[in-house]
Amino acid sequence: MKILLILGLLLCYSFVSSSGDTTIHTNNWAVLVCTSRFWFNYRHMANTLSLYRTVKRLGIPDERIILMLADDMACNARNEYPAQVFNNENHKLNLYGDNVEVDYRGYEVTVENFLRVLTGRHENAVPRSKRLLSDEGSHILLYMTGHGGDEFLKFQDAEELQSHDLADAVKQMKEKRRFKELMIMVDTCQAATLFNQLQSPGVLAIGSSLKGENSYSHHLDSDIGVSVVDRFTYYTLAFFERLNIYDNASLNSLFRSYDPRLLMSTAYYRTDLYQPHLVELWRPFILIQLTKPSQVKSPIVRAIPRCHSINFPSTMQTSQMMS
Amino acid sequence: MASLLRSLILLLIVQSFLFAIAFGSNEVEEFSEALLLKPLPDRKVLAHFHFENRAPPSNSHGRHHHLFPKAISQLVQKFRVKEMELSFTQGRWNHEHWGGFDPLSSMNAKPVGVELWAVFDVPQSQVDTSWKNLTHALSGLFCASINFLESSTSYAAPTWGFGPNSDKLRYGSLPREAVCTENLTPWLKLLPCRDKDGISALMNRPSVYRGFYHSQRLHLSTVESGQEGLASGIVLEQTLTVVLQPETTSVESNMQPSWSISSLFGRKVVGRCVLAKSSNVYLQLEGLLGHELKNVDTEIEAHELWKNAEFELSLKPERVLRESSSFLFIFDIDKSSDSEPFDLGLTWKLPSKWSCQQAPLHASRFLMGSGNERGAIAILLKATESQEKLSGRDLTNGHCTIKANIFQIFPWYIKVYYHSLQIFVDQQQTTDSEVLKKINVSPSTDKVSSGMMEMMLELPCEVKSVAISIEYDKGFLHIDEYPPDANQGFDIPSALISFPNHHASLDFQEELSKSPLLSSFKEKSLVRSYTEVLLVPLTTPDFSMPYNVITITCTIFALYFGSLLNVLRRRIGEEERFLKSQGKKTGGRLKQLLSRITAKIRGRPNEEQSSSESPAAQSSVLSSKLIFKIILVAGAAAAWQYFSTDK
Repeated sequence: MKILLILGLLLCYSFVSSSGDTTIHTNNWAVLVCTSRFWFNYRHMANTLSLYRTVKRLGIPDERIILMLADDMACNARNEYPAQVFNNENHKLNLYGDNVEVDYRGYEVTVENFLRVLTGRHENAVPRSKRLLSDEGSHILLYMTGHGGDEFLKFQDAEELQSHDLADAVKQMKEKRRFKELMIMVDTCQAATLFNQLQSPGVLAIGSSLKGENSYSHHLDSDIGVSVVDRFTYYTLAFFERLNIYDNASLNSLFRSYDPRLLMSTAYYRTDLYQPHLVELWRPFILIQLTKPSQVKSPIVRAIPRCHSINFPSTMQTSQMMS
Repeated sequence: MASLLRSLILLLIVQSFLFAIAFGSNEVEEFSEALLLKPLPDRKVLAHFHFENRAPPSNSHGRHHHLFPKAISQLVQKFRVKEMELSFTQGRWNHEHWGGFDPLSSMNAKPVGVELWAVFDVPQSQVDTSWKNLTHALSGLFCASINFLESSTSYAAPTWGFGPNSDKLRYGSLPREAVCTENLTPWLKLLPCRDKDGISALMNRPSVYRGFYHSQRLHLSTVESGQEGLASGIVLEQTLTVVLQPETTSVESNMQPSWSISSLFGRKVVGRCVLAKSSNVYLQLEGLLGHELKNVDTEIEAHELWKNAEFELSLKPERVLRESSSFLFIFDIDKSSDSEPFDLGLTWKLPSKWSCQQAPLHASRFLMGSGNERGAIAILLKATESQEKLSGRDLTNGHCTIKANIFQIFPWYIKVYYHSLQIFVDQQQTTDSEVLKKINVSPSTDKVSSGMMEMMLELPCEVKSVAISIEYDKGFLHIDEYPPDANQGFDIPSALISFPNHHASLDFQEELSKSPLLSSFKEKSLVRSYTEVLLVPLTTPDFSMPYNVITITCTIFALYFGSLLNVLRRRIGEEERFLKSQGKKTGGRLKQLLSRITAKIRGRPNEEQSSSESPAAQSSVLSSKLIFKIILVAGAAAAWQYFSTDK
């Protein structure tokens, strides 16, 4: 009798746990956050808008994108090209376009609002377009850019988001079943430290630099007068611009495309929380086929040690700004 | 067979009857669009887009829309809004050059940033909650931070000074709100043709936002159906007013620049919005002195006016209307298409000068005083050249007077002293009761509500200037309440000056039903002008102060304790002694081994000798060094005490 009971319990348990694994992928969401204000942080805005454009182009509609911009660059009085934001000095691509919808802007981009968006704990009056209405089958891309440091990210020069705040929010999201897979991409100085406290399963994290390293801007646009894009985002975009909605690229190829010499920092990614046996297709954003962990750790990305003092041959412009 | 025929005829009759009911005169939604172009005297061009959407009264349940935006009708139904206006503006309306007395400037010259006012149809106790929910809904709808108006510190409840006289009116303004493409995108999505077709396809974003002044406005009002069971009809009016400067290639500086729609917007009109009932382009020219054609045929007028010695239009207008000194050319864009785009252009041949009629008094506002403790706000009303023209209209008690209403909101940290109100007429101080006929003051409460002041002044018609000044104290904000860029300053929203006895209207003698733009011009609208937004620097704390204090204090502590520990625990020469003893040991190891072996064989006399020598020698050295150290530490502590207590 007892054995039967135990067997029954085990069966139920395995049923329950496996049912969690078999939730189907329902939709894709993107939360894109730019945390810096002031004109000299134009590049952070351009980073976020570049990702916004890419994500929209590859199929996620405005209703499922939460865009948070801490300042207005496009119609800023200092902008020579009103209603236009560029991420390249050739000015070929206007990131602002004609149909941009910013959900949180200006003074609304605060740590409190960011955490409320992630955890879904809003006041009653907050409208739907400002809520992350994801469910347990959602794949969410969370992209943050700005100034950061060891285990923190600076919001608007006034407050900080710490790594344990982020880990706590992600944990709440997992408890409330607000995502199936979460990909966090951070482009700041010492970005990898922001993921130190993450423990929830199903989370993939990509940072632009390791502890002690800075993330640099790519180039300066002498027309606009400030740097227009950061290196990590520039190369991420270069990867995505080669794709269209039907392509079958993998996360592995994204990681391999990062060259630490060009990035001037070591791109870090954390896959230990991401179950490798799940062969998940992240349609229509990008199709990811994650192979076994041993193959994921590409030697180029991991083996190069953290060095501040190496003189990289700079074929780019000399003035580099730190994120 | 006959019965079949009869039933067929009956069916047809019933069908036509139903059609007649369905397409009755007032049961259909209507949408119309119009574009008004007007050259301005200071070498700029005004472009005014006007879209009007009407939803007739219908059953509140099962309300189907095919032209009217559902988001707006849901907003009206949910929050029981009777009338609402929301405007997003950047730039300052230049009253001297662009006019202040025509319906366009009265309705479309708005204060900088976001301005929202709404009249509700709910019980008085629920108005504030409805306002709060409305601000949140609008912030989600228009991608702006309108939700900052929810707190009672940001809005006010004007009574008679503002416009609509209602106690369920709430007004709020955010002067620092940025206006960009993300506000225009959802605004355009409310139109049936979006920005894909018709006149709205002209709105090239960089051209619009390059303008000297751009203001998008949304005004909705409900029309009572008068019948039970029917929800009220809604009239939605959306306008976008842009003042652009065309690029000039002409060398002469006194000639007005020639322009065309493609040079202003980079695009041409390639067809009308097929869902629009009427779609027109108007060109208004004011103050043409060279043409005093009074009793001339419309046809000859049209032929002569659009091509003459002074200017030339690139396309023939369909009709020409006239109203005192301004001419209106009406163009039809029905026939335009991709192959034949509509591109209206105006070429000036002779230098022309004209002026736009201004409001009777020109209003400006500025700050007085310096420092971070107190200051004063002054409003200056100056007579304009049109004052004489308008002065003949008002007669009160036999004297000619101009009535002016002034409405201002002050944030709570600008603590205004209402008793310090002073009015100077023609640079002479007047006692308040001479000119100030009515005043309504709602003082602010710290961190709870903002202050509001409404004044009605009755000024003599020949007045040259009026100055109104009021003093205030600057308040302190809690550290959490400072915005991230606190050192920029804080804004006092624009004041509104309106002239209740003066109404601006343009009557082109055109039938009402044809064009909503012209019918809106025909309505008498109150002449109003907004003043500048004031930027007040408040005392801001040094936000990096806690960090600096902690750093300095910790450094001093580290130095003190570090040196103290060093002094107490570090023995000077410890290393050399250790090395020496090591050296002794290593040098004599073999010997020691040998000696040990021999000692074992013989006995054990050797070992203790070498070790017993050093402690005795060491103890004496130690004691003197110890005393020296103690004296040093005591001296340092005494010096520290002395210097820390000594001020």
